[in-house]
Amino acid sequence: MSDEDDIETPVLTEATSILEDGNCEPAKNPESVDQSAKPESKSEPVASTRKRPESKPSSDLETSEVLPVQASQAAGKETVSKDVPQSGWGYWGSWGKSLLSSASATVATVGQGISNVIEKAETSLGIPSPSEISTEVQYATGETHAKENETSSPMTGPFGVFSTISTAVQSTGKSVISGGLDALEFIGKKTMDVIAEGDPGFKRTKGLMNRSSTLSQVLREAKEKEELWTSNEVTMETDKKTHYGLLFDEFQGLSHLEALEMLSRESEIKVKSILNSLSGEELETLKQELEQLKEAFSLAEFCEEEEEEKKGDEDFTKEITELFSQLNVSSKPEKLARARNTAYEWIRTSLSKPLEEKEEGEKQLEAEKTAHINKNSIEDIHAFAIRSLAELTAYSIELFHKTAALVLHGRKQEVTAVERSRTLSQMTVMLCKELSSLSKEFTTCLTTAGVKEKADVLNPLITAVFLEASNSASYIQDAFQLLLPVLEISLIENRTELPEA
Amino acid sequence: MYPSASVDSGPSRFIYIHLYPLHQIILKQISDIISSHRATMATAPYNYSYIFKYIIIGDMGVGKSCLLHQFTEKKFMADCPHTIGVEFGTRIIEVSGQKIKLQIWDTAGQERFRAVTRSYYRGAAGALMVYDITRRSTYNHLSSWLTDARNLTNPNTVIILIGNKADLEAQRDVTYEEAKQFAEENGLLFLEASAKTGENVEDAFLEAAKKIYQNIQDGSLDLNAAESGVQHKPSAPQGGRLTSEPQPQREGCGC
Repeated sequence: MSDEDDIETPVLTEATSILEDGNCEPAKNPESVDQSAKPESKSEPVASTRKRPESKPSSDLETSEVLPVQASQAAGKETVSKDVPQSGWGYWGSWGKSLLSSASATVATVGQGISNVIEKAETSLGIPSPSEISTEVQYATGETHAKENETSSPMTGPFGVFSTISTAVQSTGKSVISGGLDALEFIGKKTMDVIAEGDPGFKRTKGLMNRSSTLSQVLREAKEKEELWTSNEVTMETDKKTHYGLLFDEFQGLSHLEALEMLSRESEIKVKSILNSLSGEELETLKQELEQLKEAFSLAEFCEEEEEEKKGDEDFTKEITELFSQLNVSSKPEKLARARNTAYEWIRTSLSKPLEEKEEGEKQLEAEKTAHINKNSIEDIHAFAIRSLAELTAYSIELFHKTAALVLHGRKQEVTAVERSRTLSQMTVMLCKELSSLSKEFTTCLTTAGVKEKADVLNPLITAVFLEASNSASYIQDAFQLLLPVLEISLIENRTELPEA
Repeated sequence: MYPSASVDSGPSRFIYIHLYPLHQIILKQISDIISSHRATMATAPYNYSYIFKYIIIGDMGVGKSCLLHQFTEKKFMADCPHTIGVEFGTRIIEVSGQKIKLQIWDTAGQERFRAVTRSYYRGAAGALMVYDITRRSTYNHLSSWLTDARNLTNPNTVIILIGNKADLEAQRDVTYEEAKQFAEENGLLFLEASAKTGENVEDAFLEAAKKIYQNIQDGSLDLNAAESGVQHKPSAPQGGRLTSEPQPQREGCGC
């Protein structure tokens, strides 16, 4: 316990790469418990309780000092946390671990990367840490390693409901992380101000975002905390209705993602074996061609300023349809466009009412009442927002999956793989932007409908919407990255007669 | 910022794919709970102990998607578009008092998709191999489908042969007996069904599930095997009471 700073990294490495024996877990747990019982953050007891309700073992103890209350909370939590970490999701983490056998070599390092990054930021900013991640990874690995080798996955616990993100992290590695976070930041940067306004604790995170790629972590943690914090007031029903992950799955987003992963994986294997069968100049030429594809997949366009005028329904439909026709696959984005337009339609009707009422009763107390009479309560708006985001994302991923299937089955192609990649890249950017502006619309709705609500009621909802929007963007970008091997194999097969895999 | 190792993507990169990612299981479970909640608040939400992955395979136009639709929606879909790649359906059934969630992958039958759909077999616990009793060619292709199913799934995958369009008796082109014999020779379950009338559709899915469940019970299907196609949730402490779990946890954490 003496060298906290160094613990995280070695621990992770050890946990993921070495372990064949069970020693790791016992070693870690005591440590974790100790840590959690140790004091933590110095100021703002209230805020930090909220921010970090499930404080768990962390390695950033240097900054820590904690009120007894919090410490005992933390300790109490620890007893639950192993099986039952945050918000009900993590619980399942332990369940599936033994079933899952997946890649963790990459995962662990990625997780580690995140932890380190955040940790660094934390020590300077005093922001709650990603301790859950590291600990969970430890747990997970500890639990799984006995059964599986180092390729087993610890991903379930730490990311909980977001584990699909981690899935993609696994599959696409660094590029997704950085690429994904660009998008997250893209979505987040304009909106963090809004969140921060009523939430002093949140404000501190702003600096962090600009400096490092941890927005998703920040949002995620914030949301988890909000969830926990509000859990007592929220009925189970409401709660469930607004679970992005559940809804995403309901729209078969996860299934399509999984199917896409399968296609991606097969393609990747093929590409590798083809590359292995080549040598010399031939190999170099092909590599160069593949490099072009990779460039198209780098999503550079996210760097552009995103100031664009809001698109009308027709524009979106037209644009996405156009992009699809450029792909030259027989798939059509109708479902997606319809879902998107429905969402906007809902927003329009939802916004029109409260606005009028607001004008009339602005100065009067009556306005407060009308807010409650409004057709859509903030909970309704929130629920619909989450649902829409999940739906749009699921359909986007379905489209990517279908595109992959169609690209793979196609024999002759009029469109080159590079052209397709560029189009898909554009489409990804467009979809993410769309999600971003949609989430802004929804939060406008929330703000309008909830003018009289207390900040601590309204803000969690707003946070959740932004979080899920960034979550959505990650899913979409992950799915996009999964298309790379598919297009690679398409490119290869479209070239002349190369030896088949 | 990131260790360079994180970029490395060895073969391990995709290993997890053939299993249901955990979150998916969770999500599915809870989403079922939700839907049941929505349907009837009073009814206790259901829960399930297993998830079985099924694939439906067979020639184009034999009625794979219609069988699925009939099974999940209890409706006949007269005008069914060609499936691109794969579509999905889910339903919870009960076998020997155990709730089981079927996650069904309905694959495209078109020959041109064959290479693509082969990617989807992995990790299937059950395979429904469908032919059209009014079209002998679809029956003749069965051996090729069977080869794929055998090669691309694990040895314990339960395969059930389904002769669809049993309602079209007048146009029958394949006799029950010969199909039955083919099934026996190859160790397949067999049923004739009609996606239109619904006859035997339920049974087709159920029979396969029973067989899989039986394999689990007698230990011939190793749930820990990577590609068993079955997910069990052994750590659910209260056995059947999934629903109450998330809440107490949340409360526990929140206090």
